[in-house]
Amino acid sequence: MSTDLTSPPATRVIGGRTSLGITWPAWGWSLIGVLAVWALIIIARPGTPFEPIAQALSLAPFLVLVALGQMLVITLGPGNIDVSVGTIISMASYVSVAVGASAGPLAGVVAAAGAGAVAALCSVLAILLLRVPPIIATLATSLIVSSATLLLADASRNAADASLRVFVNAKVLGIPVIAIVVLAITVVIALMLKRTRFGLSVVAVGQSARAAERAGIRVWAITALAYIASGTFAGLTGGLLAAFISPSTVLGTSYMLDSIAVVVIGGTLISGGRAVPAGAWTGALFFVLLSGLLNLVGWSIGAQNILKGVLVVAVVIVSATAAGTGRSSLARLRESFTSRTIKKEKNNG
Amino acid sequence: MTTTAPTRYVRPALTTRALTSVLHGSPALLSLTALVVVFAISIANQPGILSVTGLTLMLMSAVPLVFAAQAQMLIMSVGDIDLGIGALIGLVTVIAATLLNESPVLGIAMLLAIVVVYALLGLIVQKRKVPSIIVTLGMSFVWLGVGLQILPTPGGATPEWLTAIGRWRPEGIPAPIVFIVIATAVGWYLSRQSRMGSRLRALGSNPATLEKAGWSLVQTRVLAYVLAAILIVISGLLLASQTRSGDINSASNFTLMTIAAVVLGGGNFSGGRALPIGATLGAVTLGLITVLLSLMSLSSSLQSAAQGAIVLAVLAGRIITERFAR
Repeated sequence: MSTDLTSPPATRVIGGRTSLGITWPAWGWSLIGVLAVWALIIIARPGTPFEPIAQALSLAPFLVLVALGQMLVITLGPGNIDVSVGTIISMASYVSVAVGASAGPLAGVVAAAGAGAVAALCSVLAILLLRVPPIIATLATSLIVSSATLLLADASRNAADASLRVFVNAKVLGIPVIAIVVLAITVVIALMLKRTRFGLSVVAVGQSARAAERAGIRVWAITALAYIASGTFAGLTGGLLAAFISPSTVLGTSYMLDSIAVVVIGGTLISGGRAVPAGAWTGALFFVLLSGLLNLVGWSIGAQNILKGVLVVAVVIVSATAAGTGRSSLARLRESFTSRTIKKEKNNG
Repeated sequence: MTTTAPTRYVRPALTTRALTSVLHGSPALLSLTALVVVFAISIANQPGILSVTGLTLMLMSAVPLVFAAQAQMLIMSVGDIDLGIGALIGLVTVIAATLLNESPVLGIAMLLAIVVVYALLGLIVQKRKVPSIIVTLGMSFVWLGVGLQILPTPGGATPEWLTAIGRWRPEGIPAPIVFIVIATAVGWYLSRQSRMGSRLRALGSNPATLEKAGWSLVQTRVLAYVLAAILIVISGLLLASQTRSGDINSASNFTLMTIAAVVLGGGNFSGGRALPIGATLGAVTLGLITVLLSLMSLSSSLQSAAQGAIVLAVLAGRIITERFAR
């Protein structure tokens, strides 16, 4: 038995350092993807080069908002994932419209975000008290939320408030106001992850929940906050989407996988411990531009789904190799204790 | 838990093992209790189900779920989770109702392709060390896309032989029970009785030891995925034989249900455990709950909420019983 230790599991490289000393950002690849898709769109429909970007900027912010929440959850470490965001968005769209009709659009959006937080609280209780794995807890929550959506859909026949419609469609110098607002939120989250106790704790828990606990971080509180943040952002997105599109029971369905894909494509580690807020933007723009391109070329919904799925799998494979991350926290932990051997080529079996 | 079968190891007698598992509080006991309770409530609601016809109708929906749960159990025994199972079963029903009927060769080729893709997934998960959750979640969209391409709206017709399987009604015993017993026996053989079963569980609990014992980790994980894929295909075919049509969304809730069934039956998420009888009991319980909810004429809007709440409640029950057992 050889005893040489290889690849210490705790160390991580953020980005990759080139020989010139310039750090290649984790969201760099997705930016290249954005530019490539943009170029393809221009080739497919020459004439108005900035129109596709302007269009993408009005749709992408919603995806960015959901992805930021999803990013916080995924950063918590392996196994942490929020699959309830899709149904929360659908539910929140009805909440926003229903409350907005009686108490004004602002109250409606706040209520939508609150509804998202309440739904997330349900997941949190299941995760922390019942010790249900997050994926089951959030799946169960999404079932409960989808029932709530159906009940709300039966009860309300309202349309979104006119002033909210004006707000989500407003543009300053050709840039949608909503994009500016979401950009501000992204900056706040980026600073929070770098500077504040909560942000650093999220990253620390993702790198090693055990070490974080030893260091005095209340892991349960951080976990709860991250999920509630994710639910709140999904609720907020639903509240705004109600005015941008219109409330519907399937409004948020596509956001579930899209948000995870955006987070992964944006350079956030799927195994946790590294959050890349800027990547939410490049990832979301890539996705929105890509579906614009596919619609332009005339691909069916089925084909778009296939491409999306293949892309997610491909990006995960590539990024996992690049970062050299483990399969799951338990597996990584186990490997760090037991596997002291270099992977030997074995042919018998 | 044994990792690899030593040459001179003698298995204890079946009775000894059964007695031990009862004494130690078998993990499947909770699921058995839940099943009995659900069944009792169903009988109280509809006394008519205590007949061959009644039981057939009651348990029919559980048959594909039991096969899918065995597949999920195999995947979970190596420490992975398959989130694409629901979409894939939907795709199999679509293939069964279109290609398998129109050009059987192409249909069978598609079904075989699914198994090959699963082998590749196992290879990727092991070689690249990527999380199975994300890979299978991504694949679920591929399945969905392929299904929508073949059959955008539910419909089609299953081939004669498949419909005949769905229509098969033996004398004296409800047909679903036969299928459920077969599924459990297959799952039990694959995961508990055969040598490869020990390898699968070893991969979930202690891959390093498995490797030192001279087995290939890659081959073992690929084996688990291939076996699971075969069970998933069977599950999809059985579902199609009952509905006699294809619908990509017909099994979308199977993903949660199978995972819940395995956990309910005593399985865990970290791998190394495979309890086929528990998984079957869990799947039948959850299937019955679905039927029960519709029997109780619960508003259709509330049904998914009830399902989610029940899954959480049952999992909570498991935590509580495990705490008492310690």
